[in-house]
Amino acid sequence: MKILLMGHPNVGKSVFFNRLTGANVIESNYSGTTVDYTRGYMSLDGKEVEVVDVPGTFSLDPKDRAEEVAVAMLKEAKDAYVICVIDSSKLERGLYLALQIMEEGYSVIIALNMDDVAEDKNIKIDSQKLEQILGVPVVSTIAIENIGISKVISRLKDAKPVDVEDITVMRAGMNHRGKCGCT
Amino acid sequence: MKLNPDERWDLIDSIASHVVTYGEYRHTLKDAIGELTVKPMTGIPIAIAVMYCFWSVFGSFAGTLCTDGFFVKLFDGYWLPWLQEVFPGKGGWLYSILIDAGGMTNGEFILSDNCFEAFGVLTSGLFVAIGVVLPAIVIFYLMLTLLEDIGYMPRLAVLIDTVLHKIGLHGYAIVPTILSLGCNVPAVTATRILETRKQRFIMMTLLAIFIPCGAQLGIMEEVIPGLVGYVLLYLVIGYFIFGFVLNKIVPGKSPEILIDVPQYQKPMMANVRRKLWMRVSSFFKVAVPFVLLGCVVVNVLYLVGFIQWLGDLLAPVFVGWFGVPKETAGPLVAAFLRKDLAVAQLSVIEMTQYQMLSAVVLVSIYFPCVATFAMMLKEGWKELIGSVAVLAVVVFLYGGIIHLIGKLLGVA
Repeated sequence: MKILLMGHPNVGKSVFFNRLTGANVIESNYSGTTVDYTRGYMSLDGKEVEVVDVPGTFSLDPKDRAEEVAVAMLKEAKDAYVICVIDSSKLERGLYLALQIMEEGYSVIIALNMDDVAEDKNIKIDSQKLEQILGVPVVSTIAIENIGISKVISRLKDAKPVDVEDITVMRAGMNHRGKCGCT
Repeated sequence: MKLNPDERWDLIDSIASHVVTYGEYRHTLKDAIGELTVKPMTGIPIAIAVMYCFWSVFGSFAGTLCTDGFFVKLFDGYWLPWLQEVFPGKGGWLYSILIDAGGMTNGEFILSDNCFEAFGVLTSGLFVAIGVVLPAIVIFYLMLTLLEDIGYMPRLAVLIDTVLHKIGLHGYAIVPTILSLGCNVPAVTATRILETRKQRFIMMTLLAIFIPCGAQLGIMEEVIPGLVGYVLLYLVIGYFIFGFVLNKIVPGKSPEILIDVPQYQKPMMANVRRKLWMRVSSFFKVAVPFVLLGCVVVNVLYLVGFIQWLGDLLAPVFVGWFGVPKETAGPLVAAFLRKDLAVAQLSVIEMTQYQMLSAVVLVSIYFPCVATFAMMLKEGWKELIGSVAVLAVVVFLYGGIIHLIGKLLGVA
């Protein structure tokens, strides 16, 4: 099993990586700190799992060398799980990449990182509702303070490929037993 | 199923409208500071203040406090005399390589009295690596890490964007440029944040030629404190002149960019500590072996007479064109292995102030050190060959120009 950490530049992928694997990769507060990928290992249910810190990319259509590395990493690992790290204060553009990755048929889990920054900016995201709409696990995190990381790991097993055709906001109305309350 | 971009954005819009609620926008202190540091009127003076602060802390901590205040006393006062005393075979070749090549005065073997002149692996080699370079690198990376984690770098990028466009780059090129002041090796990899091959080539070439690394800065502060400013001035001017020329002649595009300016953040001490440790230790894994190896190679080449031969051979170029003594051949060989070592060597050669200035600039712009060279090769051999060709032209031209300026000023 392999986990890829993907997302826009400067959303905290490297922080995630270091917290997950106990490894040391450089973290900074600006885009483009990670320009090459780094592999590390963490244990999940007694098994060793490979984790890859992928350089930040805005979309799957690469614009620079670091993004090329990112896209190549994804294409190479067809059966990988992807933790899509999104800056909570910039949800929309983060979702763009997440959707692209889901369209490629990967099992995605979404980490709404930098929850504190969003809160500073007075932006609130209903993560449960987002999870119901997308059909993939969504977890709020503050990676630098180690908040939510273990929850992301515990939800990994719920990640599965989703057909984007099935994604409609109608699903937000569904109740917990899976029956649709809407028409 | 796959969506096209428009369908994707439509879907995102409808999702966002269901899950995101925007509260009232609050103008926080962070925002206010953020704006002050990015608007040119206030931002440029602040940037100059930050850079000045950076430089003076660098000089006073590394040079004055650590090196002069402690390591010089330790190495010259205890380490060197002790080794000179206990190491057997004074005057022999092993003694010359490891401890002290000394000097012959009236047929008598005279020991050196400081670690710059001894030039043994265990004396000068260790002194340069630990006594001079270590403190310089530690303080440099500490300050860089703080600036990075606070989130100042992208703001600097915004401020300098217009200027860097003139040389075919854009504001974000400030990141590899500043990283390069620590060590050129990670900076070469950092050029990947630039979009086009043209930009990467220009950046890589400029940083390999014109940007002195932290180790070299540290040693320059130590051995030629009065000239560092002039050396840097020549390098900065060269960076822009040749950047401007490269931009005109290298084919390709230099696109505009949108810079994402993150919020200011309080640096997390654990992260700063870890990053500092990683950078300093990886620097030393590369640096220390090369410093020690450099001492061995240069000493051996001296002993077998190669350096003298090379000096005589290149004398017309060195003396006539560059206006520096032919003895600088030795340091130039060392400069390929380590530039800090080369500057240390230059400092003990007798020459005028202006010759010293020219020689140090030459050592800086001449060939990148072997570690940088290897890193550039990894990024692509075509680029490397191109860079080396540019470098050869630059060294010859710029070296000559510096000599000419000296002549016109009547100091060379």
